[in-house]
Amino acid sequence: MALLEVKDLCVGYRIFEGHLRVLNRARLEVDSGERVGLVGETGCGKTTTVKSILRVLPIPPAEVASGEILYRGADILRMSHRGIRDLRRREMTAIFQDPLQSLNPMFTVGTQLRDILKDSMGGRGRGRLSRREIEARCIAALHETGMPDPERIMHNYPSQLSGGMRQRVCIAEALSREAQLLLADEPTTNLDVTIQDQILRKLDELVDEKGTSVLIITHSMGVVRDLTQRMYIMYAGTMVETGRTKDLLAAPRHPYTQGLMESVPRLTGVGISDGIPGRIPNYLDPPSGCRFHPRCIHVMPVCKETVPEFFSVGEGHVAACYLYRS
Amino acid sequence: MPESILSVENLTKCFPTKQGLVRAIDGISFVMAPGDTLGLVGESGSGKTTTAQCIVGMYPPTSGDILFKGETIGAAFNRRPKHVKGDLRIVFQDPGSSLNPKRTIKQILSVPLAVHRVGTSRDRLARMKALLEMVELPADEYLYKYPQAIGGGEKQMVALARALATNPSLVLLDEPTSALDVSVQAKIINLLIRLRRELNLTYLFITHDLSLMRNVASRVAIMYLGKLCEIAPTVEFFEHPVHPYTKMLLSSIPVVSDEEEALKPHKAISKGEIPSPVNIPPGCSFHSRCSERGDFCAELDPEMREIAPGHVVRCNQRYGPEGE
Repeated sequence: MALLEVKDLCVGYRIFEGHLRVLNRARLEVDSGERVGLVGETGCGKTTTVKSILRVLPIPPAEVASGEILYRGADILRMSHRGIRDLRRREMTAIFQDPLQSLNPMFTVGTQLRDILKDSMGGRGRGRLSRREIEARCIAALHETGMPDPERIMHNYPSQLSGGMRQRVCIAEALSREAQLLLADEPTTNLDVTIQDQILRKLDELVDEKGTSVLIITHSMGVVRDLTQRMYIMYAGTMVETGRTKDLLAAPRHPYTQGLMESVPRLTGVGISDGIPGRIPNYLDPPSGCRFHPRCIHVMPVCKETVPEFFSVGEGHVAACYLYRS
Repeated sequence: MPESILSVENLTKCFPTKQGLVRAIDGISFVMAPGDTLGLVGESGSGKTTTAQCIVGMYPPTSGDILFKGETIGAAFNRRPKHVKGDLRIVFQDPGSSLNPKRTIKQILSVPLAVHRVGTSRDRLARMKALLEMVELPADEYLYKYPQAIGGGEKQMVALARALATNPSLVLLDEPTSALDVSVQAKIINLLIRLRRELNLTYLFITHDLSLMRNVASRVAIMYLGKLCEIAPTVEFFEHPVHPYTKMLLSSIPVVSDEEEALKPHKAISKGEIPSPVNIPPGCSFHSRCSERGDFCAELDPEMREIAPGHVVRCNQRYGPEGE
C-alpha cells in the first residue's frame, strides 16, 4: 500500500467572478521511502495540492469538490481535527518556499525549534523527552543541517540570519522529529545556485539517513533530477505524465512535457525553442477534454471532448495523452 | 565610429550605511563592442544590478568612468544629455512593478515617445502599434489594456517595447526573465535574440542563470562582491573555466541531462555563503570560500590579467605573486 495516495482530487475556489476549477482529478502516489517530484509552472495547482494534503487549504474560498487523499489508507479529508493534528505532529512535515514567512519573526530560532519538539515529543510518559534532551536534540538538528555554531544560532532571531541559513533552520525544524513524509514546496526557489546546491545536498543526505519519504514540489527540472526517483508533470490542475525521473527527462512523451523540456536552457548551448504557444487556461472556464488541447500541436478531435486517461508509454512511465492510445 | 559602444573604467560605487561603507561595486572595468551580448552573472548581493543602475544613470558613480560611444556619461543623471538617455535603455526584473498599474499600455508607451520627441503626435500612435507588433503582441487588442489584465510574459514584452521606443543602441536587461516560467522565458529570449539581429542592438544581460547565458551571450562576465572575477567569450568560458568561483557556480547548476552533467567541473563543491559587503574579506574577496586557496590569498588582492585572447581572470593562483 502506498504511503500517500491522492485519488481524483478536485479542488476549486469560489470567488466573486465565479468558480475557479483548479485541481481536476489530480492523482498522486508516494510509496514508503520513495522520493517523488511534482513539477509544473506557476498557477498549475502544485501548492493547492500540497495544501490539500496538509489540510491547510483556506475553506472557504477553497472547496474540495470530490476525491480522496489517503495516508496509510485513512482519508485525510474526512479525518477528525484530532486525527489530522496527530498526523501533522508525528507523520507529516513540510518545508515551504519562503522561510521568512514560515518562521515567526518575533521568536528566536531556539524557541521555535523547542516548541515543535515539545509539541510532538515533550511532556510526560513513555517515549517523552525531558527539557534537557529537547535542547540537545535542537542543537543536533541544527548541526545536522551544516549550520556553523548552532548554540549561537539558537539565540538568534530569523531576521539576523541569511536566506540560506533560514532555510536550513526550516529544514532542521522539519527533520528534527522523525516524520515519515516530508512535503517540500519549492524549498530552494529563493536561493542562489551555490546555496541551493548546498541545501539540496544536505537535504538529500538527511533524507537518506532517516529514510523519510519526500514529495518535492518545484518548477526546476534540474532539482528534480538531482533529488528524486520518480516524478509527476502537472499542467492546469492535472497530472499529465509520470515515470522514473531519469526516463522521463531523457524521453518526455506528453506534448506539454516535451515543450517544457525544449524550453529549458541547456549548458550544452544547443539553443532554446520558441516555448509553448498560448498560456495557462483561465480556471473560471477551463477547456473541455484535455486541458492542454488549445496549446497542443498534435491536437485531435477526441482531445476536445474527453479527458484522456493515463496510457502506458514505457516501463512505469505513463502519459495522459491520446497520442499513445493503442 | 568608435570601436567600443560602452566602456566602463574602474567604476566604484559606495553606499554609506549605519553599519559602515558598503562597496557595492569595487573598481570594475569592461568594454563592450557593438553587437556584443555581455552576460553579467553573479549571486544576489554581488553588485550586478548596481552596475546596471550606474550605467543607466540612476546613481552617480563614486569614482571611475563610463564611456558611451566615446562620450563620458559618468556625471549626474540630470546633466546627462537627452540623446544618451534615449540611446541607452533598461528593462527591469519585475514587470509587475516597473509598469504603472493605473496607466494603459498606450499611455505607458507614449511617455518615452513624448519625452524624446519621436515623430509628431500623429505619428506616435502608428509608432506605438509598430512597437507592439515588434514584440509580437497584437496591437489593437493590447493598446488599451491595463498591465494587470495581461500575463507576466506579456508585461515584460511591453516593458521591452517601452525600452525600444526611442531606438536605442544599447539595452540593459536586468534579470528580464527570472520572474517568469521557463516556457515564457523561452519566448522572451527568442524575441530578444531576433530583435538584436533586426535592430542591431547591444545587450548587457544581467542574470544569475549561467545555462541561459550559454545560449544567449557572446561573452560572459562573473561578478563576486562588487568585483569581476572572470570575463571570457562564451564558448571559452564554459569549456575552460579558470576562476575557482566560476567552477563553483558551474558545478552548482542543476541540469537535466547526462550530456550537461559531463560538462560541469566536478571538483569544485560549493561551500560557504557570500560575505556581507560591509566587511569584505581582505586580500582576494573570494578566499574564504575558495577550494584552491594559496597562502598569500588572504593578503594579496589579485589583479585582472589576460591569460588568453579576450579571457581575463582575477586570481592569485593563476599567476601568483611571483608570476606564472
